[in-house]
Amino acid sequence: MNTIIEFKNVNKEYKSGDHILKAMDNVNFTIDEGEFVVILGPSGAGKSTLLNLLGGLDTVTSGEIVVKGNHVENFSDDELTSYRAKNVGFIFQFYNLIPNLTALENIELMKDIVDVNIDGLSVLDSVGLKNHADQFPSQLSGGEQQRVSIARAVAKQPTMLLCDEPTGALDSKTGVLILNLLQDMSNNKGTTVIIVTHNAILAEAADKVIRIKNGQIESIIINENPRKVTDLEW
Amino acid sequence: MLRDIKVNKTQFIAIFMMAFLGIFAYTGICSEYYGLEQTSDAFYNETNLADGWISGTNFDSVDVGEVNNFTTQSERQFVIKSVGDFDGEPDITLHFVENGTISKFYVTEGSPVDINDDSGVWIDKRFADARNLTVGDNITFEFEGKTITKTIRGFGYSPEYVYESSPASFAPDFNNLGFAYLSYKAYPDNIEYNTLLVKYSISDVDFKNRLNDSIDYLSVTIKEDQFSVAQFAQEMVQHKMMGDIFPVLFILITFLTLLTTMTRIVTHQRTQIGILKAVGFNDKTIVLHYILYGFLPVLLGSILGLITGPMIIPQMFYPTMKTHYTLPEWNPGFDMSFIYVAGLLVISSVVVTYLTCRNISKENPANTMRPKAPKLSSTNFIERSKLWRHLSFNLRWNWRDAKRNKFRAFMAIVGVMGCVALLIAAFGMNDSMNDLKSWEYDDINHFESKLSIANNASALELYYIANYTNGSFIMQMPIEIKANDVEDTVSILVSNNTDLISYTDENKNPIEIKEGKVSISVKLAEKFNLTIGDEIRWHIVGSDEWVTSKIGQMHAEPISQGLIMSPDTLEDQGLNFTPTNIVTAEKFGERCDSIKSVTPLWKMEDSWSQMTSAVMMMVYVVTIVAGLLAFIVLYNLGILSFTEMEREVATLKVLGFKTSFLRRLLLTQNLIFTAIGFILGIPLGFYFMTLMMDAAGDSLYYIPTLTWGNILLSAIITFSLSIFVNLMFSDRISQLDMVEALKDVE
Ligand SMILES: Nc1ncnc2c1ncn2[C@@H]1O[C@H](COP(=O)(O)OP(=O)(O)O)[C@@H](O)[C@H]1O
Ligand SMILES: [Mg+2]
Repeated sequence: MNTIIEFKNVNKEYKSGDHILKAMDNVNFTIDEGEFVVILGPSGAGKSTLLNLLGGLDTVTSGEIVVKGNHVENFSDDELTSYRAKNVGFIFQFYNLIPNLTALENIELMKDIVDVNIDGLSVLDSVGLKNHADQFPSQLSGGEQQRVSIARAVAKQPTMLLCDEPTGALDSKTGVLILNLLQDMSNNKGTTVIIVTHNAILAEAADKVIRIKNGQIESIIINENPRKVTDLEW
Repeated sequence: MLRDIKVNKTQFIAIFMMAFLGIFAYTGICSEYYGLEQTSDAFYNETNLADGWISGTNFDSVDVGEVNNFTTQSERQFVIKSVGDFDGEPDITLHFVENGTISKFYVTEGSPVDINDDSGVWIDKRFADARNLTVGDNITFEFEGKTITKTIRGFGYSPEYVYESSPASFAPDFNNLGFAYLSYKAYPDNIEYNTLLVKYSISDVDFKNRLNDSIDYLSVTIKEDQFSVAQFAQEMVQHKMMGDIFPVLFILITFLTLLTTMTRIVTHQRTQIGILKAVGFNDKTIVLHYILYGFLPVLLGSILGLITGPMIIPQMFYPTMKTHYTLPEWNPGFDMSFIYVAGLLVISSVVVTYLTCRNISKENPANTMRPKAPKLSSTNFIERSKLWRHLSFNLRWNWRDAKRNKFRAFMAIVGVMGCVALLIAAFGMNDSMNDLKSWEYDDINHFESKLSIANNASALELYYIANYTNGSFIMQMPIEIKANDVEDTVSILVSNNTDLISYTDENKNPIEIKEGKVSISVKLAEKFNLTIGDEIRWHIVGSDEWVTSKIGQMHAEPISQGLIMSPDTLEDQGLNFTPTNIVTAEKFGERCDSIKSVTPLWKMEDSWSQMTSAVMMMVYVVTIVAGLLAFIVLYNLGILSFTEMEREVATLKVLGFKTSFLRRLLLTQNLIFTAIGFILGIPLGFYFMTLMMDAAGDSLYYIPTLTWGNILLSAIITFSLSIFVNLMFSDRISQLDMVEALKDVE
């Protein structure tokens, strides 16, 4: 398999007042194309930081982040913007849909930033929400909103889906539905999916499990036989 | 609390600035007008200005005794026009006073007026300054064939000469005009007093009636009709009218924007209020905290405005006022209403903060801690139409955003509307005043100079001059007119149709006044509710001969209202044509006894401009303050929408939207609100303008016009402010920390 993401000696420091906090401490790992990766770790370990650096929302203090051969750490603001537009699909705990737009419009919105032909309705259909196309986010349940947000992220056919605790605000039944959807994206469409969670059970479904603690990599495990999300014991 | 203020620094500054500007403009403009009123009143009181002036031929002690029966105080003066022995033969009015207790000379330099001094004179300070006189100089006057020389004892002011004017121009020429006070002992002969100054406590009507029943006299003038008092009072009315309208508008806009902003700010703090509650603060503490929040900046802004407004704005008006009017002091005025208005602003801001805050703190903390869920939106027919699908994301997004935040949209639109209305009104006034000027001095009057005929002119010489200059005789006099139970003092112009003066209709088109017809000005006809065919009664001021005329025609005149007719028509009414002026297209520089003065048209135009300088100053003040207010309203709107949309903007940024796109998104919204407010502001501004122009003067007739130039200028100001404000926010968009903005509410 092709390696498409590589972290080399990545450090991220936050200065608050006179003391420095190392949120990423010499982090190294690689991720292959189409992998379903789960990042585990306690709260404050640096999971979100890792995802934000990879997604181009934040910049490293030192080290290299190579995505499809490009050095993200050297990108200018404008380059980061188009990098995000083309390569990254973000999914957040609180969905972050645009409240002014209907479900369908939230997806078709992406037409303005990428040159991909987006058929909003069929994307919505793929997450099972065809009938909710004209509803506003506030009229949808949390699970439905998260599915719209996944639909929005995949509509532009990004290189990777970065999901920061995507089920954190959902009940477990709905959560499984969402995670299943994400696993399908990886298995069937070949999209690289990286999920941050603190629910260790999901590890059994992952191709690769990265555990971090205090900003450092604790372990990287490759699962030869990942299980289906729906088969796990929740 | 302090930390809060630091975090929300810009909003506090905006609130502070709004309160400051509103109160600044309000108190400043009002204080200018109150200042005029208060200083002139104080001056009148201190100098014991007369309530009435009775003129006659020789008031003796018996007359005084009679008059004392219905007055509280009286004093005789001999008042005479003299010619000062200087270049240009200045007109100096001499007052020989009996004891100097009424309309006292106010000495600013030299020794006090001494009633036993038979060789001293106290001179008009403005004249003295213009002629570089010093105390101790000798000065010579000529009057009625007498020549007197006196020593200057002092300089000062008189309450009867707050406004001095030469016959031909509006603005006083202190070099050629003045007054002097002397003791009756300084009079060379046996003095025959021709003026009786009185103070009385009965009504004006009673006074006139009692006077008629008592002594023989020529004429009587009461205080409010006295030339200087009346002129100054009219000036004050003008200021007061403008001072009533503009400040009220400013304060209304301030209330509106300030209160809505307060509501928004507190609503923004709902999350924090929720946290404070969850941590265990009780409602009272929280509410108190936020009340301080609304209270402090408004209080500080109001106090600063209250102090600086009266200090700065009146000083912008007074210098030009000083060129026309003479008062010993020019101080800004004060009125309790300043405190009340500022207090009201502070109190209502606190009340609004309290109510908003209480509503939030009544909710349960868990609820409060989440951003308020956007109201359930539904799509309407526009959004389901085909067209909608073709609209850009930008427009769709802004449409929905406005729909969801109607309150913010409303506030923005109303704020812009108010400021645009003020700008349009100010520019419109400027235009209307200029329009009046060109109507009067370009369209109507085409002569080069206007010669004033002296009292004792020789008819022969006059005919010679008129002939020699190709001039035309006219008669211009004040008349008193009565119709439909209304009375007014206006002016009459008697003249043959001449190329030098073109009469005009309401559209400024030239018209002829037909032989045999009496023409009334449109404004006057409106005031008296008269139409062609109606009758009026009138007489020339200074003569008792009332005549009745039928209105045969109407004309429009921008700056002086009254009647126009030909000399023949006048004589048909049984009155004599006694010309007061010659107008000519040529320059006239010769000296002759029959001509008192020569005033070129440009000089008349100049003095008119000076007369209206207060209005123009108001235009500038209003333009500047309205511009600042517009800026604050827009800036404030910018902050509000930016903070409200921060999360959405961050999301869009994460999705990969470019900063320039987001900037355009916000700009579109600002521009749309500005455009709507602008369009609504135009008719409102037009209405303000008519209010203002009506206030500017009773005798002004104008056609309210709204020029494209003004609309364009207001548009340029408003829209560039809008764009400027937007630029201030683009930095904030590009520097927006996405991670921070999207941090989950924990
Ligand atoms: N903007 C920031 N400034 C300072 N410290 C931060 C910032 N963002 C995150 N941190 C710190 O970095 C560490 C890692 O945070 P994060 O990546 O959010 O952890 P998590 O694994 O819970 O997602 C934490 O200790 C957090 O306090
Ligand atoms: Mg996290």
